[in-house]
Amino acid sequence: MSNPNFHQFPQSKSIDSVRFLSPISSSIPSPSRITSLKSPTPKSIVFSTLSGTLHFAFLDPVDGSFDSGPTVETSLHRGSVSSIDVVEGGGECVSVGMDGRVNLVGVGEGGRVEWKRVADSNGLVGYSSVRWGSNVEFATGGLGFGLQWWDQRRPGGAVSQLKGNWARGNMPSMVHSIDIHPSRKHICVAGGSGGTIFAWDLRWQQQPIILSGAGVSGTSQSLSESDVWEVQYDNHTLSSSVTSAPSTKILPVMMCSEDGILAVLEQDAEPIELLGEPCAINTFDIDPQNPSEVICALEWESIGILTRPRMVAY
Amino acid sequence: MPGLASDPDNSIVPFDPNPPTPIIYPIQINLKPPISRIHINWSRGNLLHVACLRPAGDSGEGLAGGKVVEVKLGGADDGEIGEAERRRIAYGSVPAFALLQSRRNSLMAMARMSAASFRNEWWEHVLEYSNQISDLLGRPKLPSGSVIEDPRMVLQLVEKPTSLKAAWQLLKIFYVDRLSSAWLPEHLVDWLADYDGLLSKTDTTIHSKLAGLQKKLVDLQVVEDDPEYWEGISLALAVGWLDIAVKLLRLHGSYQLDQIDSRETENGLVEAVAVLVSTMPRMRPDLPTGKLGQSYKTKSDFIKAWEKWRGHIAKLDFSTFWVQCGHHQTREGLKNLLQIMLGNIKNITNATYHWMELCISHLLYMRPFTMSLEGMHSLAQKCMQLKPNANSSGLTEVLLGILGDNTEVVLAECSRTFGPWLVTHATELLSTENDEADILLHEERYNLGGISIDELHRLVYAQVLSSHPLTWQIAPTYLASCPKQGLGLLENLLYRQPVQHFQMILKNLEICRLYELDDISSRVMKIAGMYNWKHGKKGFGVYWLQQAQDEVRLNKIAQRLFECIGKSVSDDSFKQWEGLIELLGSEVGSAGGLEFLHKYRDFKRSLQQVQDGRANDVARQTVESLIQLMKSPSTPQRFWLPLLHDSVKLLNWKDRPLLSVSETNLLMNKLQELSLAKLRPDFCDTELPPKAIGSVRLALATNLARAILEEP
Repeated sequence: MSNPNFHQFPQSKSIDSVRFLSPISSSIPSPSRITSLKSPTPKSIVFSTLSGTLHFAFLDPVDGSFDSGPTVETSLHRGSVSSIDVVEGGGECVSVGMDGRVNLVGVGEGGRVEWKRVADSNGLVGYSSVRWGSNVEFATGGLGFGLQWWDQRRPGGAVSQLKGNWARGNMPSMVHSIDIHPSRKHICVAGGSGGTIFAWDLRWQQQPIILSGAGVSGTSQSLSESDVWEVQYDNHTLSSSVTSAPSTKILPVMMCSEDGILAVLEQDAEPIELLGEPCAINTFDIDPQNPSEVICALEWESIGILTRPRMVAY
Repeated sequence: MPGLASDPDNSIVPFDPNPPTPIIYPIQINLKPPISRIHINWSRGNLLHVACLRPAGDSGEGLAGGKVVEVKLGGADDGEIGEAERRRIAYGSVPAFALLQSRRNSLMAMARMSAASFRNEWWEHVLEYSNQISDLLGRPKLPSGSVIEDPRMVLQLVEKPTSLKAAWQLLKIFYVDRLSSAWLPEHLVDWLADYDGLLSKTDTTIHSKLAGLQKKLVDLQVVEDDPEYWEGISLALAVGWLDIAVKLLRLHGSYQLDQIDSRETENGLVEAVAVLVSTMPRMRPDLPTGKLGQSYKTKSDFIKAWEKWRGHIAKLDFSTFWVQCGHHQTREGLKNLLQIMLGNIKNITNATYHWMELCISHLLYMRPFTMSLEGMHSLAQKCMQLKPNANSSGLTEVLLGILGDNTEVVLAECSRTFGPWLVTHATELLSTENDEADILLHEERYNLGGISIDELHRLVYAQVLSSHPLTWQIAPTYLASCPKQGLGLLENLLYRQPVQHFQMILKNLEICRLYELDDISSRVMKIAGMYNWKHGKKGFGVYWLQQAQDEVRLNKIAQRLFECIGKSVSDDSFKQWEGLIELLGSEVGSAGGLEFLHKYRDFKRSLQQVQDGRANDVARQTVESLIQLMKSPSTPQRFWLPLLHDSVKLLNWKDRPLLSVSETNLLMNKLQELSLAKLRPDFCDTELPPKAIGSVRLALATNLARAILEEP
């Protein structure tokens, strides 16, 4: 299947993460493969690696390129950093790992990194993804489709959690990615193993809403049978429809999967498949300035840019 | 290959029994001598690890005891296609190959299909496949879309094509494009036009000559005085690059406005030749835009036009106008062109460099009708005698193999020059139309361990893919198409993938799922479980073992875990176990010995509620949890006393005895068992105060007495 609006650009290396930035061409060295990449402001980049390090990079206003900034090399995690997230607009960075550690990292005065450990389960629990909900709250996800909600104002562990043992049989059940919409902070949407995409409304705690996948509900459709690597709210639809929708409604979500699918899901609607590639789509990003543009990284050492027709208001 | 070296004559693939000159790889060690030992071992792919060690005890201050150097072997990479580009081709060919295999399987499954329609349909699939691969190897670059055409730009110097693509196209022409076998010579003319520059790296070719002329043209004022100009035209004409020949002719000085009056006859002759060149009849269905000539689809039409065209040439050759042409070079140059078009062997031989060019020239001007493969083969042999080339390229060897109808040679040359990728993908083309090749490729061979040549090449290619960390995951597609040994090697491949990163494990499991290798996926999960358990990721380790339903290991792990938990029976740190317990789920059986944790958590929870002063029924529920825990074989013995000690309040419940007689008896028996166990050497004591056992005993006795009184 070839899509005339999809352009693929072969690279000579594996692409682990992609993010839209202002038009700048820059290259920053990394000690190992990147597990998570964020750009909280147009002037900064934060990324974590498989070797367990965390790096900041800032835009040099003089020559317009990104320069390596402070780095946390050791003792942040035992093993690799699974996922990071930075407060939008540039603030604290939260990092999680399969070692069960949750850390907050920030760049203080004089460009010095300061970090503190929020929790350490000593490996009894592992976290595979994290996402800020507000300046003080964040959600983590991990094994068994479990989700946890943390509030820095109430230290000592997660303040509420979604029981994860609703997954089927002996198929893997891991959360790979979480997203929280700024207008609906009480809903976490998560994607993981077995093509599963579900939402967790903090107000109805123990019942996940399955959007796709082989969950408990027999009626939910399944777009994919493999791992969903990333989910992001799709802001392609105009903002008026977002504000007018009831607060219980799950807004459209874009996902990419191991079996090469890039699609948009909406509650109670047929999913829209944007791409069906012969290899995995590892990650994607929607251009915040122009949401009809989507960039994605494909397993076979290439990136692709998809241009969607502009949405008409409805 | 087994048995190959001993018997070169009967080998499937021809080979040179004399070993080639060994290749020397100089390595730099920078280690102070003496070196006492050298270890060499394989690393990933074609990397060798060479470890040089100094004698033990000789390591002075700041001196390294040894050094390991990485040596990259082979490097057959001649620079034409880089590593990244090779991987791009490898990735891109997977979907086409997989589609063709699945189509073959579905065609095979259709029982009621005549052999003819089977062939037809299969051929169409192979054609599509060969086009997909050919696109992948690079599409011809379109000439730059400049509006004003530069008349002096006769040869578009676009990006150099690759030999790999040239080889693929050659195979496609001879093995797949069977509908066009009548137009085979013209196909070869087109092929040479695209790839002439690749025929030799060192020897002169028409392409290299014309490229030289193109550079010179920019500065040349009076072109017709330069012998290279006339040679260029004859070269282009000889191999049928008519557009180039005509473009060059029209650069002739006599076309210039200030000269046209004084050189009228000369210009008339040049134009007449140009018209003859551009109207040459061609035996082909059509001509792409920009190419000259007149195409004829049927042989009879073509022969008629051909005779007529030759008549025009002969007529011009004997024209009286030549006498009036004062420019010597022009007269001679044009006459030479006419002789080439008339198929004069001497002129043709002079107007070509490589034997293949001569061969094409023959096909164009001497034998323009379809000829058999055999005929072409003997023609090629003749041309090689006339134009022996010192350095033969892999491409011409492949061509000779094809013309000689020798599939083995074609395969061997493809393998030698272009490597396993081409051989693996080309076998599909070779056997499409040729039954002999089909048998040769698919016959099971004793000397290959019962596999076919086709399978052998796929296995070799899969090995190459598996040895690279970025391409191993596409090897399964090829292994799955190997009926004999593919599955075994696939299992082996999956089994030995590293499990450090969970993304890798998930990839592995995904492949297992696609090929329905449940057994391997369960083993991979067990390996992953143990790895993570050992590396401190206890929850993750337990998770994988639970997925793999590995009761044995879970039970062992449970014992270790309980050692940590035993100390925290009554404190708050039990909270951090919550996550793990959640993960274990409530299904009994899937958690091995860890199901205890779940019941224990429930018991602790309701006990908490009892202490908060809840009602009788909550207390009764707690007792039921206690009895279940004490009955369960998965509850470790060392938890018995702490559990009973925590329940003293329940045993002394004010309102009524909460335990029945039989329940109290059960607990007393357990206590008794515990006292006996104390004598055994492997008993592990709890950290409870010494009087704990006494208080439990007393509470049990009290409860028993009250229960006997209560019960009717």
